[in-house]
Amino acid sequence: MINAFLVFNGQGQPRLTKFYTQLDTSIQQRLISEIFTLVANRPKGSCNFLPLPPLLAASSTSTSSSEPHNDVPSLVTYRNYATLYFIIISTSTESPLALIDLIQVYVESLDRLFENVCELDLIFNFETLHATLGEMIVGGVVIETNMEKIVQGVRAQGTVAKRPVNESRGGGMGLGSGLGAGLGMGGNFVWSGR
Amino acid sequence: MFEKSLYDLIRGLRNHKGNEKEYIQNCLKECRSEIKSQDMDVKATALLKIIYLEMNGHDMSWASFHVLEVMSSPKYHQKRVGYLGAVQSFKTDTEVLMLATNLLKKDLSASSPIVISLPIAALPHIITPSLALSVLADLLPRLSHSHSAIRKKTIVTLYRLALVYPETLRAAWPKIKERLMDKHEDPSVTAAIVNVVCELGWRRPQDFLPLAPRLFELLVDGGNNWMAIKLIKLFATLTPLEPRLVRKLLPPLTDLIRTTPAMSLLYECINGIIQGGILGDSEDDGREEIASLCVSKLRGMITFNGDANLKYVALLAFNRIVVTHPFLVAQQEDVIMECIDSEDITIRIKALDLVQGMVSSDNLVSIVSRLMRQLKTSTNPNNDQLDDLSTDSSEEMGAERRSRKRDEAPPLPEDYTIDVIGRILKMCSQNNYSSVVDFDWYIDVLTQLIRIAPASRKELDSDGMALGPKSTTADISESIGNELRNVAVKVKAVRAAAVRAAELIIAKLSMETTSHQVISGSLKPVAWIAGEYANLLSNPSDTLNHLLQLIPRIRPSEVLATCLQASMKLFALIAGNDQTYWTAERKSMVSLLMARVIHTYEPLVLHPSLEVQERAVEFTELLKLTAEAASAQASSTDELEQDPPLLLTQAIPSLFQGWELNSVAVGAQLNVPMPEGLDLDEPIHPNLSSLLAQADSLMLPIQEDDEFSAYYNEKAAPTSISSEPAINRLRDAPETTSGSYQQATEDSYLDADIIARRKAERAERNRDDPFYIGDLGSPSRSQGTSTPIHNILQNENGPDLDIDSIPIMKLDLGAISSSGVGGAPGTPQRSKAPKSRPQIVVAADETLVGSRPSTPRTGSQHDSDADPSSASAKSRAARKLKQSLLQVDSSHLRNLSLEASHSEDSGGGALPHEKLAETDAEMAKAMKEVQRLRLEMQRANERIHVAQGVPTEGVVVKSKKKKEGKKAKSKSKSEEDGAGAGEDEKEKKVVKKKKKKAETEVAEGGGEGAPVGGEGEGEAVITVKKKEKEKVKKKKPKRIIQLGDEDAGGTGAGAEAGEP
Repeated sequence: MINAFLVFNGQGQPRLTKFYTQLDTSIQQRLISEIFTLVANRPKGSCNFLPLPPLLAASSTSTSSSEPHNDVPSLVTYRNYATLYFIIISTSTESPLALIDLIQVYVESLDRLFENVCELDLIFNFETLHATLGEMIVGGVVIETNMEKIVQGVRAQGTVAKRPVNESRGGGMGLGSGLGAGLGMGGNFVWSGR
Repeated sequence: MFEKSLYDLIRGLRNHKGNEKEYIQNCLKECRSEIKSQDMDVKATALLKIIYLEMNGHDMSWASFHVLEVMSSPKYHQKRVGYLGAVQSFKTDTEVLMLATNLLKKDLSASSPIVISLPIAALPHIITPSLALSVLADLLPRLSHSHSAIRKKTIVTLYRLALVYPETLRAAWPKIKERLMDKHEDPSVTAAIVNVVCELGWRRPQDFLPLAPRLFELLVDGGNNWMAIKLIKLFATLTPLEPRLVRKLLPPLTDLIRTTPAMSLLYECINGIIQGGILGDSEDDGREEIASLCVSKLRGMITFNGDANLKYVALLAFNRIVVTHPFLVAQQEDVIMECIDSEDITIRIKALDLVQGMVSSDNLVSIVSRLMRQLKTSTNPNNDQLDDLSTDSSEEMGAERRSRKRDEAPPLPEDYTIDVIGRILKMCSQNNYSSVVDFDWYIDVLTQLIRIAPASRKELDSDGMALGPKSTTADISESIGNELRNVAVKVKAVRAAAVRAAELIIAKLSMETTSHQVISGSLKPVAWIAGEYANLLSNPSDTLNHLLQLIPRIRPSEVLATCLQASMKLFALIAGNDQTYWTAERKSMVSLLMARVIHTYEPLVLHPSLEVQERAVEFTELLKLTAEAASAQASSTDELEQDPPLLLTQAIPSLFQGWELNSVAVGAQLNVPMPEGLDLDEPIHPNLSSLLAQADSLMLPIQEDDEFSAYYNEKAAPTSISSEPAINRLRDAPETTSGSYQQATEDSYLDADIIARRKAERAERNRDDPFYIGDLGSPSRSQGTSTPIHNILQNENGPDLDIDSIPIMKLDLGAISSSGVGGAPGTPQRSKAPKSRPQIVVAADETLVGSRPSTPRTGSQHDSDADPSSASAKSRAARKLKQSLLQVDSSHLRNLSLEASHSEDSGGGALPHEKLAETDAEMAKAMKEVQRLRLEMQRANERIHVAQGVPTEGVVVKSKKKKEGKKAKSKSKSEEDGAGAGEDEKEKKVVKKKKKKAETEVAEGGGEGAPVGGEGEGEAVITVKKKEKEKVKKKKPKRIIQLGDEDAGGTGAGAEAGEP
């Protein structure tokens, strides 16, 4: 199952945190910062999987090779879009490559909802972020991977606000470059799971 | 309306860069007051802001009650905020959760699908067993909701309910199964079910075997890759239970592997084949084909135009194969080894995992040297001055090294470095060093590792502390030192080399950190080696000097204690020679040395650590006495030859010369049988106290005391090492090893000085090798025994002999001449094939007969530092520790069987092993019936007529106000019996059987003594009800506070009765 879904930007500021098991706020923050340090130091062209952050590794090192324990979070998958990092922490029962696709579906859905989504949209509409995630994952289990249905589900809950007009000029943060546009989403996807 | 909106808050945050903290604190203050507002809009906005701040790390647990308020708002957009707050902040121990139960139940039965979705999506985050029990009845009907979105969310939520309250599945599973079997079900609902079944599958695979046909159908013509991935994962857990599935699965899987364009599906097919054990034995033809297909595909993934993700997952798959089919993976060694050098750490670690399982004596050296090179290059920048130091010893080597610094890798993170070092140690030491062929090489590697190892963080940790186990793992250099010590103890053949390595390390440490504290944890074991095998040191007095310099700079007390002991041993060796006479020269030398040692020890007499203090006090006092004795003893003159004081030559050395230490298996101590008649409570002496009192008054002259102890100790030294005949040592001396595989690559990871030493050693060794043409052009000699003798000579000559300064030719000649005299075995080494592997004996851990097997060299048991003492205890501890941060505990589920519910549905009897579960189920069902009946009656009281056809589980308690509920409770209690009699007969008949069972069960299980006399139907009902009432009464105070709801009180009691 999926243990957590996180979004943070290039400075490590969280944009979305969703933990499917209960965790103290302070530990959440520690985990985020640990993952951020891992993610920020990735060399170009490295894979989309992170070694376990110390917080998680401490509890599962002993089992790493001997007997795979399916309950323990053992996989940290990330994707980087423009200024944002999307992280999924999951157990070994999830398919690693499918998780990469799942992040892609999420981002594409957001792109569909916001039309050329950028970090600012996510900052000001974090409720929509939660709603979108809620249409894809419930309680750590993936319930929907079809983008149409996800978008439809979010729209059914009410209109999605656009970013405030006067903000779009930018205030020093990495914005403007749409997440989708910046990555040419959808096209060159070798291991497409869909 | 001057409140900030979320938008304002975020803008404000962005405009207050630099002093955000203050801004946030102000905002929080505002929110705190706003959230108390009566205006729901203000409240909801404040909550949204708080949730936003929570994301940034500001605790919001204080707002839980307000969250609840907003949740109960009738407006959807406010309700949504409330639920978001609950999801983000509620914990299972949040108190207001009890108050939320009714709200959740109400929202679950709302008419609008988007409202229903809210509690369904929130429940997994806040679920507790009791909450699960209360909402289950409301959740179940949602499985057949007209909206597919609701259905699929409900399924997942039911799964999460089952994790904390396994009984959920008993009620829900038949319905979920029905959904799964329904071919006209929305495909996304089917996919969600498959996801859930996949999650459940690995916990209880046997329950899902009956589904195999349908799942297979879905796999073949599902057309959904996401689902196919999950199905394959599920099948991988089913095949071990049902081997016939394999034949059925193979065609579609191979088909998918060959055709699918989706890499993820391809990978999962291969992975499924591996995990499902389909690879099988190599005897089967068809399977061999699939195995090679899989492996070749995986190999392709690693090499596939450098896609790092594929590389990673392929390594993951190899990691699984290696457990069962190591030979298949061994064939791919080349590509895997390349991954070790990948600059992506994730891939490196996975490759390392893999390599660790592939190590053999053939590839160990190449693997370790790869890793060493990695470590070396990454730590280079810091080691520059070290290199400069080492260039002194060998100029050209240093130059060569410097030219090598071309491709400098970015510095590796410390954790990784530590991890790699740990793995190197593990690889080399596994199976009691069965893979290590050349121990000289291993010692060199260890020496190098100690230099590379990152400084221990013990110092830092000691402030924060409480990191118990972590600080020990962090101190990797201590483990390296321990390895060196293990080698020194276990492998006698290379003990001399290990001791010399230790000597070198101590020298380096004392020179390196002239002003700072000593931080390398390696000092402790290394000092121990130097002390214990002091007679093998090439230069004991130098080493003693270094140690004495180091001692004042050591912080950790254990290290200090060891160093004290080691330096004392060294002193004993240096000063305790009883062969030579007590010359004036010797007298002054010894006195000076003693003064120095005492000077070093004295400050430690007041050390806070008792262990250190004790040793320091003992040694200082002993040395002071000896100093007195030494100064009293007149030195020998030409006429009169004086012996050195006995204290110096006998007493002190005999303190440290006893039986040789051997490694003892970890569990051995536990196996020592308790002597019969041993009573530890028995006093040692009947009137010990009076004896002690006597001793206090008795003032023994101290001198005498020490002589007594000296006498005492003398006897205990039967096998001092130095008294061994030389011939023994000859046999033990290092034998020639072939150095064929450590050619030029070695200098890429060993420091120049280590290599230089190595080269010198090798040259020395090879000088005597007739097949080796030395660069000195020395005449080859047929006599091969000179090297060991040469070593012994070195050792004997001891402190005042600097080996390096001796011209080699001269010494050689001496060695040859002495080889005849020295009584060496004289067996010509020629008989030994020069290329053959040296037969090095690695001592096994000592243990007691009849206990756990020791670790023979060839043994495949645990490695030497694993804890074999109690595997079960260990695993238990591990499990405790394993409960990871984000982990969901699903252990409850293991005990639940779905079979019981299956068989009940079909009306048949359960399998024998399911009996227990079945009775439990019956019990729960009966309790539910009772509860339902009670509700019915209550309702009758309230003049609410419920039609006969209400589904058993589907009773929906319309939300009652608290007061009403309480009133109803008391009312129902007084009228229950009567109402029960008045209840219509039909209903009773339906549940008659169950009730009977329940009644007996309750009587047995509860054990609260309510006499069971119910033969007749009506009586039975009453008995049960009385029982029920009792419970309710008992619980009443608590229940009212917690739930304020009659229904929940009943169910709570029901759950309690059902559980034991």
